[in-house]
Amino acid sequence: MDWDQFDLNPKVVAALKRGNATWGREMVYPDVTALRSVPSDNELPSSREPAVHKLHERAVESRKALCPTVTQRSVFMKPLSVSADIKSIKEVLNLSGADLQRLMKLSGADVECLLKTVSRALRKSCVLTALQLYQDKDCFSSQRQKLSLGCSVLDDLLKGGIPLVGITELAGESSAGKTQIGLQLCLCVQYPYRYGGLESGKYRPDTFHNCITKRISVLLARGAVRLVVIDSIAALFRCEFGASDSVLKARYLQTFGAQLHGLSSRFRAPIMCINQVTDAMSNAEAAQCGCRNLYCFLYSSAAGRVCPALGITWANQLLMRLMVSRVPQPAPSPGAVSHHPASVRTLRVVFAPHLPPSFCCYTVKLEGVKGMK
Amino acid sequence: MQRDVGSLPLSPALRARLLSAGFQTAQELLETGPCGLSKEIGISKEEALEALQVVRQECGCDAAKTAGGSGTARKCTALELLEEEQAQGFIITFCSALDNILGGGVQLTKITEICGAPGVGKTQLCMQLAVDVQIPECFGGVAGEAVFIDTEGSFMVDRVADIAAACVQHCQLIAEAHQEEDHLKALETFSLESILSHIYYFRCRDYIELLAQVYLLPDFISEHSKVRLVVIDGIAFPFRHDFEDLSLRTRLLNGLAQQLIIIANDHKSAVVLTNQMTTRFGQSQSMLVPALGESWGHAATVRVIFHWDNTQRLATLYKSPSQKESTIPYNITVSISFGMEIFHLVRSSNCEIMNWSYSCSVSIEVVSQDFTYILQPQGFRDVQPPPLTQNAEGTEMNPRKRPRREEEK
Repeated sequence: MDWDQFDLNPKVVAALKRGNATWGREMVYPDVTALRSVPSDNELPSSREPAVHKLHERAVESRKALCPTVTQRSVFMKPLSVSADIKSIKEVLNLSGADLQRLMKLSGADVECLLKTVSRALRKSCVLTALQLYQDKDCFSSQRQKLSLGCSVLDDLLKGGIPLVGITELAGESSAGKTQIGLQLCLCVQYPYRYGGLESGKYRPDTFHNCITKRISVLLARGAVRLVVIDSIAALFRCEFGASDSVLKARYLQTFGAQLHGLSSRFRAPIMCINQVTDAMSNAEAAQCGCRNLYCFLYSSAAGRVCPALGITWANQLLMRLMVSRVPQPAPSPGAVSHHPASVRTLRVVFAPHLPPSFCCYTVKLEGVKGMK
Repeated sequence: MQRDVGSLPLSPALRARLLSAGFQTAQELLETGPCGLSKEIGISKEEALEALQVVRQECGCDAAKTAGGSGTARKCTALELLEEEQAQGFIITFCSALDNILGGGVQLTKITEICGAPGVGKTQLCMQLAVDVQIPECFGGVAGEAVFIDTEGSFMVDRVADIAAACVQHCQLIAEAHQEEDHLKALETFSLESILSHIYYFRCRDYIELLAQVYLLPDFISEHSKVRLVVIDGIAFPFRHDFEDLSLRTRLLNGLAQQLIIIANDHKSAVVLTNQMTTRFGQSQSMLVPALGESWGHAATVRVIFHWDNTQRLATLYKSPSQKESTIPYNITVSISFGMEIFHLVRSSNCEIMNWSYSCSVSIEVVSQDFTYILQPQGFRDVQPPPLTQNAEGTEMNPRKRPRREEEK
């Protein structure tokens, strides 16, 4: 880190660069000379006031209690040597103001100035008013742009489609149509801008951690890929981790979620995670998963009983959660010939910062996923 | 001028030298002068000069503080504090039950933390507050501005615009009913554009950026002196991954909390944070608790937990210095543009009218019942209309509530 480029007091810059500084520990503990200079009890002149005498006694006792032996005393007195070699902005911000003062031997005002300068260098001027966001026509920072699902009914439900920044989850039982929607998104991302697409390729990885961190970031950086679909996120996490190492699993999920977040906001590429569902054991657990909403009661027979897998740790990482379900429906007319019972597929918004909980029905046909009014 | 040398903001090494040379008060230092000082404690004249400048500045500040009566280290009586707290307003949430359990709304100069599972409405409340803080004073608001620090990327400007439009419409209704001059005058500048342009949005991608932003906030708020609300949505996300060293996390969070308390106190603004929930495994059962650990629980003055009970959203006041613990139901309403069923619209438009009367005045109730068919405003609302009488009593019984102007008429 080149500290000279900052507009800082040269003294501060020198302190930042200085290799090894010593902590002021020697001030905390009584020093040896002071200890020696305290007269022992019988040496005290008897003419002194008894109160003063008492005070001396107490001082001697407390020092003895602190360092019972001479060797211990010498260990205590040794100033601790800690490196003040601060190399990055991150290191500066990781230390509190008081720590910085001690480490760099600077005054409070200097440290405050240093913190502010460093923060300013890191943040530059990044304030935006909501009005700027609202009126911004520039597609690079606009929230208006969404990735279309390729069907006007479904797009209406989602107010235009999937937001470009953030993780969108699509959860549902097997055969509800999750993969179909994922495939359709892969197709839509290749449409030109004006048709709601993002004019680029897509990448559909199998769930694998290494792949997320290295290969995808390379592909996204090239600009060739604008959508990441992960099908399915739960499959690996559910088989890799047993019930016993839930803490480890939670930590991996958090790291993983943060990495996806980082990729998504850096490259403005939507991330769609397809998730499995698990049977909700009790009301309390269902509430944890956040899958209970206004509309659950409409589908209490089927949809209310399941909630997305991976628990609250994963749910905390999400921007919005969609759920698909497939409910068998009695055939409308008994005379109609069908080989398998007809079923209704629904796509529900479970939560999203810009959408109310709502749902619509859809069908999967040869030509793709289509919403029904 | 009798200030102790040890309390001056000098570097520790210099302080130690001064003390060992026998200096005790700032006065003594100033009398010695730079040349004397450099000889006395063996530092260069430049350093001595610099130190004396600091001392002079500090003493100047002290004098100003004692004269002006405002500053960080001032003394005041409990009565003064009470008066001050009563004089400052609240940021209303538009959900009277939630306002009631909070003692009138989100308090200025306090840190309020909102905890809840994903999707329960934390971000919605933050966006609602960012709009509500701007309601003009004559309508019972605090006429402030808002800073919104977003760490999760969940700030949706379209939704904020919807809430803002609804809020403007509310105020227009009031103005039409009252035909008062100050209302009409306030409405001239209270528009969707003005609301949106007074929400300052910062996006922080990791905890380093968040810390840096919070260090810069005091300067920013000094430049924009009308800021009365700082929202950090969410505090937990950047601190819940990639932390090998949990003691570092605790230290940073405590430092952050201290910075926020300073911002809240010095600039008379409310600080609202959102926190995630996490599962804690007990001996027999697991339960949901707010994230970031036990020590973080001390950071916020007021803590509200949002949770689900089957299909009903509930808000529980979990920690508060002045209000009793209680739980209330709330709703987040939506507009026709969302395409919701009719019965929802009708049901919550009733609430909305009651609510309105609550938040603005008592005298308007009868008048505004004519407007039951208006376009549904959005955001935080009551589940059922609270009885009118109770409403009026509630406002009077609560001593912390600022008397509204309309009530006096």
